[in-house]
Amino acid sequence: MVNTKRKMMNRLLSLVGVLAGMHILWYVLALLIDNPILPSPIPVYGTMNELVQAGIGRHVAYSLYRIAAGIAGSLVIGLAIGLLMGRSAFWNKLLDPVVYLTYPIPKIALLPVAMLLFGLGETSKILLIGLILVFQIIISVRDAVKAIPEESYDVLTTLGAGSMAKFRHVTLPGALSVILSTVRISLGTAISVLFFTEIYGTQYGMGYFIMDAWLRMDYAQMYAGILVLSAGGFVLFLLVDVLDAVWMKWRRLR
Amino acid sequence: MSGSSKTAASSATAEAASAAASEGVSGAVPAAGLQDRTAAVPGTDTEEGLRFQQLTIAYPNGQRPLDRLELTLPKDRITCIIGPSGCGKSTLLRAVAGLVQPLEGEIRLSGRPVRPKETRIGFVPQNFGLLAWKTARANIVTAMELAGTGVAPGRKAREAEADRWLAAMGIGGLGSRYPLSLSGGQQQRVAIARAFALRPSLLLLDEPFSALDAMTRESMQRLFWMSWREHPATALFVTHDVEEAVLLGERILVMPKNPEADIRLLENPASQLEWEGRRESACFFEQANLVRRVIRDAW
Repeated sequence: MVNTKRKMMNRLLSLVGVLAGMHILWYVLALLIDNPILPSPIPVYGTMNELVQAGIGRHVAYSLYRIAAGIAGSLVIGLAIGLLMGRSAFWNKLLDPVVYLTYPIPKIALLPVAMLLFGLGETSKILLIGLILVFQIIISVRDAVKAIPEESYDVLTTLGAGSMAKFRHVTLPGALSVILSTVRISLGTAISVLFFTEIYGTQYGMGYFIMDAWLRMDYAQMYAGILVLSAGGFVLFLLVDVLDAVWMKWRRLR
Repeated sequence: MSGSSKTAASSATAEAASAAASEGVSGAVPAAGLQDRTAAVPGTDTEEGLRFQQLTIAYPNGQRPLDRLELTLPKDRITCIIGPSGCGKSTLLRAVAGLVQPLEGEIRLSGRPVRPKETRIGFVPQNFGLLAWKTARANIVTAMELAGTGVAPGRKAREAEADRWLAAMGIGGLGSRYPLSLSGGQQQRVAIARAFALRPSLLLLDEPFSALDAMTRESMQRLFWMSWREHPATALFVTHDVEEAVLLGERILVMPKNPEADIRLLENPASQLEWEGRRESACFFEQANLVRRVIRDAW
């Protein structure tokens, strides 16, 4: 117990250290460049108050909603298809070439198509985030399910367990660690795509806010927006870590 | 297609078993007490016991490790299956467990076909077969839930029953630990506790102690024997260890290397001795030597 506490403290300290180091670097760079395009951390943090008054919460909420909907949608579809392909040789044979051929297509290039088909609203934004994530999820879930040794199902089979019970007790928990790490990787991608989709057809979202501040040449607000977006990403990342700590307890007790 | 059908049957009845028992306890068991039953009449009229009828199993490559096997094993007794690797002893066990579908033939327990949904099977695989993401207790409780409500109704009752069996296996304090944090011997105890907690009518063990060190294996053999004595079930115990087979098996099934050759079913009076001192008894050594001799001929 003491050991894990000390480990957590060390981790926290190193995180704070890196954060402080980055700010010092930023400050030094700002002093060296001495140009309004790179304000120092002090005015940027100073403008946070304005951000809150300008209703940054609403922008954050919109962005979070789009990310959550995109990830949730791609998880549901990716899990279903990935599990199907992992457990059934027939479906794997049928869908593998489809996934193989569509995976390398840069889905972000489909942005105009999504806009044409689904308009400028939420649907096209969420769809694009989901579209980019779903293939990674399908592939990693399929491989994770395939990697579960066949013997893991043996005892359940001898108990007369049906396929639902096997899914619940073996397939899903066995694939969960991979699902979590896929979500972790996907988060970074999702936030990047989010930014891209928020520069059109909306007046809400962190992407819109940052681009808007840029156009207004309010660089302090622009950097503050970038900071808020990064902080949002970090919180989501922590959330995955918490889920990992809860669900993956069994792996860390070696 | 192989030519001759494999035939080995035991017509042993309860009387024969108890006769062997009294002989065994008196300690005056002659070497001839181990009878070779190969020549016995195939099949029996009684529906008692675990019966293999014309059991044929084919691998995907067309090979047949078991071809028209006829065999009856006594009910509520331990039969140890011993044979060289690749002789089909695990396949036989997996067929009983419902993990391998026979090409032809049937397996019946007391006259009823053995099916995972209808027969309560306690299966202990070589790799312990524990779900890594469930605690020791949860592994047992899940198995009890899947086996049906008959064992212990209600979650609390199941947990209590699981804890009772963990305690019986000497690991009462490890119920909330995850398998990866347990040693091999501890994991095996959980697996055996799970099998017994199901109150199985069929107990199937596939080289359960082969991955354990010698000391742990001996204490596990003892624990297994004690638990089985309290809750007897028809048990098939696959092993590659002659001593283990003589220690635990009331019958010893010697499977040949060559699938064409006959399977031999031996009676083992050493299993009727008191546990304490069984391993050191003269009878035990004689039986072990006899089994070795049979193995030398068969392999």
